[in-house]
Amino acid sequence: MKLKSLPSLVPYSLLVSLAVPGVVEAADEKTRISATVDAYYKSDNTALGGREDGLGLGHTELSVQHQIADLFSARLTAIAEVNDVENNGDIEEAYLETLSLPAGLSVRAGRFLADLGYLNGQHSHADNFVERPLVYRGFLGNHYFDDGLGVRAVLPTDYYWQLSAAAFTGDHLGNFESGPSVGAWTLATKVGDDIDESQSWQAGVSYLRNRMDLHAGHEEEHEEEEDHEHEEEHAGHSHGAAFSGEHMYIADAVWKWSPSGNNKSQQLSVSAEYFKVTDISPEAGAGDHDGWYTAAVYRFAPEWSVGVRYGELNARQEHEEGVFENADLRETTLMAAWNPTHTQTVRLQYTHQDAAGIEGEDNAVTLQYLISFGAHDAHSF
Amino acid sequence: MRTVSKLLGLACVWLVTQPASALNIFACEPEWAALARALAPQADIYSATHVYQDPHYIEARPSLIARLRRADIAFCSGAALKEGWLPALQQRAANPAVREGAPGMFYAADVVSTIEKHHEALVGRGHVHAEGNPHLHLDPDRVQTIARHFSQRLMQLDPEQAPQYRQAFQVWQKHWKQKRLQWKQQALALSGKSVVVQHSTFSYLLRWLKLKPVADLEPAPGVSPTLSHLDTLTKSLETEKPLAIVHNWYQSDNSARWLAKRISVPVLALPSTVSEKDGISTLDQLFDHLIAELRSAQL
Repeated sequence: MKLKSLPSLVPYSLLVSLAVPGVVEAADEKTRISATVDAYYKSDNTALGGREDGLGLGHTELSVQHQIADLFSARLTAIAEVNDVENNGDIEEAYLETLSLPAGLSVRAGRFLADLGYLNGQHSHADNFVERPLVYRGFLGNHYFDDGLGVRAVLPTDYYWQLSAAAFTGDHLGNFESGPSVGAWTLATKVGDDIDESQSWQAGVSYLRNRMDLHAGHEEEHEEEEDHEHEEEHAGHSHGAAFSGEHMYIADAVWKWSPSGNNKSQQLSVSAEYFKVTDISPEAGAGDHDGWYTAAVYRFAPEWSVGVRYGELNARQEHEEGVFENADLRETTLMAAWNPTHTQTVRLQYTHQDAAGIEGEDNAVTLQYLISFGAHDAHSF
Repeated sequence: MRTVSKLLGLACVWLVTQPASALNIFACEPEWAALARALAPQADIYSATHVYQDPHYIEARPSLIARLRRADIAFCSGAALKEGWLPALQQRAANPAVREGAPGMFYAADVVSTIEKHHEALVGRGHVHAEGNPHLHLDPDRVQTIARHFSQRLMQLDPEQAPQYRQAFQVWQKHWKQKRLQWKQQALALSGKSVVVQHSTFSYLLRWLKLKPVADLEPAPGVSPTLSHLDTLTKSLETEKPLAIVHNWYQSDNSARWLAKRISVPVLALPSTVSEKDGISTLDQLFDHLIAELRSAQL
C-alpha cells in the first residue's frame, strides 16, 4: 500500500469536516449545504481513466444550494480529488436556475452537468459503482460539465416527458486547440412512468454536437514548453474525453422494481446505455466509436446491495497519419455495498478488463468509503 | 436551427393549452390526500406515497415528476419527511405554483408545532432532524388545525369556489369534533399504559392517548433494530411489561416477534396512514382502527 498520499489527504478532509458543521448551523430553510467525502483504496491502475491506484480521495464534494427571492435557485459544487499522481480541485457546478417560468420551462446559466444519457446529470457520489462505465470514461471524460446556457421543458402529459437543449463553450470536452464560441450543444429527451405499484421505468435519447477543432493540432506539434506544461497538468489522468467525434448519440433505459414500491427494504434496478460517436476524422475509412454497458443492482436488505456491470468500448485510434486501428476494451465489474447508516457507504468492487489495442488493462480491487454531511441528497431515479 | 424553431412552436402550443378546470392537488402522503378529499371534494387528488412505503425513502420517480408538474397545490407533512425527495421533485417538475415558499406549497409542519426536536446530528443518527417528528397527522388536535389552515389556503388559491371550501370544512369539523370526543372516551382505558415502538411513527398518537412509549426497537431513529439492542431491551422490559409491541405495516415484523416471544406480550401491526384498499380511507377511520387495535391488545 502506498502511503505517501496520506499527508495530502489530511488537509482536505479537515477542511471539509471543519467547514460543514459551522455552515449547517447558519443555514436557513432556503439554503441547503451538503458535503460528501469519498475515500478509497485501489489495488491496481486500470485502463481508460477511472481512479489512480493506491490510497486517495475520489469525488469529494462540497455543495451549496440557495433559493434567491423565489426567482432563482443557485448551486455551487466544489470538488477535490487527491491521489498519488495529483491533487486536483475544481468547480463542477456554479449555476443559476429559474424557478418561476411558466409551462414547465426552466433555464440554467453557468457551469452545470449536461443532460446526456442516464448518468451524466447525476452526482457521482450517488453511483452504484466506484467508477463510471467505460463509455462515460472514454467518450465524456467521466462526466461532462461545462459553461453554458440550457433550457428544459417538462410537458404537461400524464406520463413524464422532458425535453432539453443546451449550448456550451466546449472547453471541458477535452484538450482541444481551438473552437467556435459555442463549442458544443446538446439535445435530449426523457420519458418515464410507473408500470404498476412495484415497477417504474425511464428511457431517453440524447445528442451531443462537438464543434471543437478535433482534427487540427495534435499535441506533439505544440511548442515544447507549452507541451511540457500540458503534460504535467494532466499527467496520467484524463480530464476530457479520450475519444471524440463530431456527433455523439446516446440511448438509455432504466427499469426499477421494488415490492409494493417500498424501495427502502428491497429494490432491483437494471440500466443500459448505448453510445455512438461518428465523424471522428475527415479521413475516409476512419470509422466510428461505439460502446454500451448494462448494469444490475439489487438491494436485498435496507443496508445491503450487490451489483454487476458489463461494458464494452470499441474505439478507432489513429496510429499514424490516416491509419486507424481498433482499440477495444471490455470491463466486468462486481460490487457489494453496505450502508451502516443512511449517510455512509462501504463498497467493495472487483474490476476485470480485457483489451485489444488499448494499453493498461488490469484487474483491480477497490474499497471505497463514502460519508455525507448536512442536507440529505435527493433519492433521484 | 430547424429543431430550435420546432421546440419554440411546441412551447407555444402548451402555453395556450394550460388546463384551468378542477384544482389539481398533489399529496406527498396519503393522509393529506384523504383530508384534501374531505375539504375539496371536486378536486383532482393524487397521493405520491402509500401505507406500505417508508415515507423517508421515496425516489423522485418520473411519474411523480409528471404529477407535480401538473399540480396547483402540494399538500405535504414537511419537516424531515420532505428531505430527500421533494426538493428533487420540485426542481425537476419546474412548476412555479409549488416551488418552495409559493402559496401552493403547503406544509402541515408549518402551521402546527412538532415534538421530539433534536439538534441536527451530523453523523450516524439516521433520520433525526431539528424540525422535530414529522408524523404529525396522528394527533387529532393537530389535524384539526392543519385542516383549518389548508381550507383557508384553498380559498386563497381558488377564490371562486371559496363558499364550497368553507362549507366542506364546516361539515368536516363538526364530524371531527364528535369523533374526537368519542376517541377521548375510548382512550381512558389506555391511559398510563406503556408500549414498545419501532421508530417514532406513532409518537403523536401515543401522547394524545396518554400511552407511554417505553422503548424503541430502533437503536437510533431510522436505524434497523440490532440483536444487541434487542437483548438490552429484553432485560429492561422484564420488570415492567408493556401493553404491546407496535410496528408499521411497511416494516418487517421479525424484531417485534423476536422480542414478543421473550417477554410474552402481543405484537400489533398498525397502519401509519390511510389505505383505501384495506378499508381505511379517511382519517377518522384511521383513528377508529388504531384505537380499536390498541384496545384489543389490552384484553
